[in-house]
Amino acid sequence: MASAEYRECTVNVGDTSIHYLVGGSGTPVVVLHGFDGNPGWLPVYDELARRFTVYAPTHPGFAGSERPPWLESFVDLSRFYLWILQELDLTWTTLLGFSIGGWLAAEIAAMSPATVERLILVDAMGIKPREGEIADIFLHGSEGTRRLAILDPKQVPNYELLFGRKPSTEEREATAINREAAIRYCWKPYMHDPALPFLLPRLHKVPSLIVWGKEDRIVPLESAELYRRALRDAKLELIERCGHLPHLERPAEFLRVVNDFLV
Amino acid sequence: MFIMRFTERAYIAYTEADVKNSFRSSVRLTFPNTHFNPELGADLYNEYLDEYQFCEEVGFDGLMLNEHHNTPTCMGAAMNLEAAILARITKRPKIVLLGNPLPIFENPLRLAEELAEIDMISRGRLVSGFVRGTGIESWATNTNPVHNRERFEEAHDLIIKTWTTPGPFRWEGKHYHFRVVNPFERPLQRPHPPIWIPGIGSPETLEWSARHHYPYIYLETDPQVTVQMTELYGKAAAETGYVPGPQNFGYLWRIHVQDTDEKAFEVGKGFLVGNAGIGRVPMPGDFMAPPGYNSREGSKRILEQYKHALKPDALYGGVDAAGWDAVVNSNRVVVGSPKTVIKKIREGLRILRPGILGMWTNDGTISHQDTMRCLQLMKDEVLPAVREMGKELDLPGPFEQAP
Repeated sequence: MASAEYRECTVNVGDTSIHYLVGGSGTPVVVLHGFDGNPGWLPVYDELARRFTVYAPTHPGFAGSERPPWLESFVDLSRFYLWILQELDLTWTTLLGFSIGGWLAAEIAAMSPATVERLILVDAMGIKPREGEIADIFLHGSEGTRRLAILDPKQVPNYELLFGRKPSTEEREATAINREAAIRYCWKPYMHDPALPFLLPRLHKVPSLIVWGKEDRIVPLESAELYRRALRDAKLELIERCGHLPHLERPAEFLRVVNDFLV
Repeated sequence: MFIMRFTERAYIAYTEADVKNSFRSSVRLTFPNTHFNPELGADLYNEYLDEYQFCEEVGFDGLMLNEHHNTPTCMGAAMNLEAAILARITKRPKIVLLGNPLPIFENPLRLAEELAEIDMISRGRLVSGFVRGTGIESWATNTNPVHNRERFEEAHDLIIKTWTTPGPFRWEGKHYHFRVVNPFERPLQRPHPPIWIPGIGSPETLEWSARHHYPYIYLETDPQVTVQMTELYGKAAAETGYVPGPQNFGYLWRIHVQDTDEKAFEVGKGFLVGNAGIGRVPMPGDFMAPPGYNSREGSKRILEQYKHALKPDALYGGVDAAGWDAVVNSNRVVVGSPKTVIKKIREGLRILRPGILGMWTNDGTISHQDTMRCLQLMKDEVLPAVREMGKELDLPGPFEQAP
């Protein structure tokens, strides 16, 4: 499915080996993956790599990267990520995060606004809605979560390739590792940080884009609005007929709004 | 030999369709509590306590209780309350709690206090078992499953220190933090009530139990695998510097006796709606073992160690295919007249050699009346015979020989 050239690398962060993919050229865009772990080099990265150097790291503890034994919480993860970015020489970068990766991008940015050139949050976890609830992906299990995440499998290019195959032993092992990592960091409070909305106004000078599948059944639209309010002047783009994963379900629309923002 | 009696105290007034219609068709965790009728619950709790009280007269050495949450298959959601009642209304048998699920307690000191009270009220009859709990217990109490074993071990260490070290002292662990550990009421038994560990054979827990000299109680595990697990315990014990004997092992077994084989065969079918629930609708695997509940290393060892037994055996999962006859013929559930049951127990004891025998006398749809008849026959015929077997086969329990 991939076409552009990218490299598979590791970087040592303290005593921890972190895996990442990198490709393209230009100013950096760091893509932060969601709860299912690093999906590899996606077609949308090819498009971004035309104008940017795309970094796609695997979060500590997810399949491919080590977890330092002390790293237990989402805040630990965010703090450690600043160290990862430092070791990658990414001292000023765009962060583009999907789902829990969006939450992670928001936390990193709130901790260190000077590191962040631009912020793009896609169907981001992290802020608890006031009326609705973030769906419990752990309770729904992997299959149930996939059904919730994708509004219409028929409109997902390469759906069979992405989700329809019987997983190999290694892929099953990776899925177990990814689930365990997500549970470790996001179990309680579930998928949010109560302090985050109060820290985000600190980013008033960072250009921010919020992208949301209009029919996201995992993180309600209300969370998008709460992000927009906390990130003063952030732009909110809703993708029609789309669930939790716009970059997989409606990649063309997704790229259009992201390119409009970046260029 | 130490002989104890057990039932899960099931609630059975629901249908297979009710289970199928619950979230992810699970009989545990998400099975709606609107299916519970407290008036029936009141009757059942009292009947179950009556049965346990009668078990003292029957001659059981121990009254075994367990705890589960969010499930009709076991009404012991607050087991220590039942234990406290039994502590007061009985005089002789041990109160055997197998066990308190340590990881789910945010405050293990409160647990240490409850257990100390039970030990004193019973005048030193508490056996304090500890468990990790099934995954359901983690879900139901929102305890992160990836910390399950760490919390089990740390809560255990804290409780033992609380019982054995003069207070006040400070505890600053990974999961528990207390500035003044000083529960005033200490248990009656010195240095502390005996600790037993029930389980289905996780290698890490077996080895941990062996290192602590804690008897391990097999929860009706496959006999062939049980022998292997005993070897694993023995290896860890040898590394610790001792040779375990029957006093280090227990075996829980569903055993139901009636006047005739035919009647026991029919009544015993009630077990089939026991801990798997009515209709035996399979539960989601990630409810019982959520990601992280078992370490990846531990999961691999389980697969390796018990490879040949991982096919659905006659008792779990395969019962609908295997059928009740197969379950009974393989002795995974023992039903029959006193004569038949005595013979079958003898065969099992010879192979497994436990110093503790847990008799799971009834469950599911087995009625109170049938249970009371079963217990009477236990008193008149089965227990005296099993005691003789214990002597003849040289199976000392942990109160005859220190584990």
